[in-house]
Amino acid sequence: MKQDPKTWADKYANLTNSDETIGAMAKYYTCSFMFDMTDCRFIIEMHDGKIKNINTDPGPLDAYDFALRASAATWREFSQPVPKPMYHGIWSASFRKDLKIEGNHLVLMQNLRNFTVQFELLRKSGVPV
Amino acid sequence: MVKHSPVTGRYVTIDVDGQEYKVFYLHNGRGQPLICQHTAGCHNHQWRGLLEDAEITKHYNVIAYDLPRHGKSDPPHNTEWWKQEYKLTADHYCNFILRLCDALELKEPIFMGSSFGGNVALQLALRRPDRFKAVIPVEAADYAPGFYLDWWRHPHANAAQVCGSGVWDLMAPQSPEMDRWLTWHYYTQGSEAFKGDLYFYSVDHDLRDELQNIQGRKCPVIMMTGTYDYLTPPEATENTARRIRGGVYIEMDDIGHFPMSENYDVFRVYLKEALRIIRERTDG
Repeated sequence: MKQDPKTWADKYANLTNSDETIGAMAKYYTCSFMFDMTDCRFIIEMHDGKIKNINTDPGPLDAYDFALRASAATWREFSQPVPKPMYHGIWSASFRKDLKIEGNHLVLMQNLRNFTVQFELLRKSGVPV
Repeated sequence: MVKHSPVTGRYVTIDVDGQEYKVFYLHNGRGQPLICQHTAGCHNHQWRGLLEDAEITKHYNVIAYDLPRHGKSDPPHNTEWWKQEYKLTADHYCNFILRLCDALELKEPIFMGSSFGGNVALQLALRRPDRFKAVIPVEAADYAPGFYLDWWRHPHANAAQVCGSGVWDLMAPQSPEMDRWLTWHYYTQGSEAFKGDLYFYSVDHDLRDELQNIQGRKCPVIMMTGTYDYLTPPEATENTARRIRGGVYIEMDDIGHFPMSENYDVFRVYLKEALRIIRERTDG
């Protein structure tokens, strides 16, 4: 059964905000990004390593720094406890699957250490698609 | 409790194409020389598991060096290297390895390298099959475009973290967390060299029209790639091995692009099989 988007957002925020690896280097992890899961979209706003807000119903003019866009099926693969090869990260999925990284890549690179850790929390939260 | 490792380190100074390099290497074991190249932007600690593997070092003299500009091997001491952008070429890379093997008086060594070390293993098999008993290209292919990226040393980002986390997805999620973070740690130390190494890996290395000229029966080529490697995916290695006369392909399950570093216990199973095949094909 699919998770409700708001329930998922709360779970993902709790996992992020309590993650020790992010917490160990949280200062300045401040940016915003979109998870475009095709059937659902979210804008996640980070401030000093904590989720300040998750916009679960983004409007056409709501801003963010960068976006990850892929099919719902790909997001479901990301969220497996042990993802299959090529679904195990944003680099592998953008090189070999249908993930598109759009927007300001520099912001992603500036925050890559923490973003990579946070992305893998999908393996615990699941996805609402 | 004090615990000393049997691994020891030394420096040797060599001249390669007019460049004076003071090269640091770790070694342990006796018998057949097995010389090991780390991956791009990294250093010889990637081979820490192999260097302390008593079963293998009982019969193999394992040597793992730092390529110049990596780990404890400085850039050339006789050149104003800081005035030129570093771009590793296939010619210089091969000349370095050959000169180092000469300096260490290695007779018919087996050469093993991963990623850009695997690609140079193919170059060595093509250029000097007389000099090596065999090569083990790990996570290698005839051609590997796509990773010569400006992000590795972009001045507006933390290059150490971009390199460390940029290669994170090259490892399998099953690999132990400690070993993946150690590999990340090594990668934070090599960011100034990473992009220049990848000039060889993704640009200068191109053997698509040369594989048929590799004498795989004279110098066995045993290729191994992990199923989680997105950069050199298993099919790229398999297709390369198939086009080499006598080439062997071994697929490694549930491991990624840094097998010796991210999960040595899994890697050693496949390595022992590669060494067995080499013994079988070379009578020793």
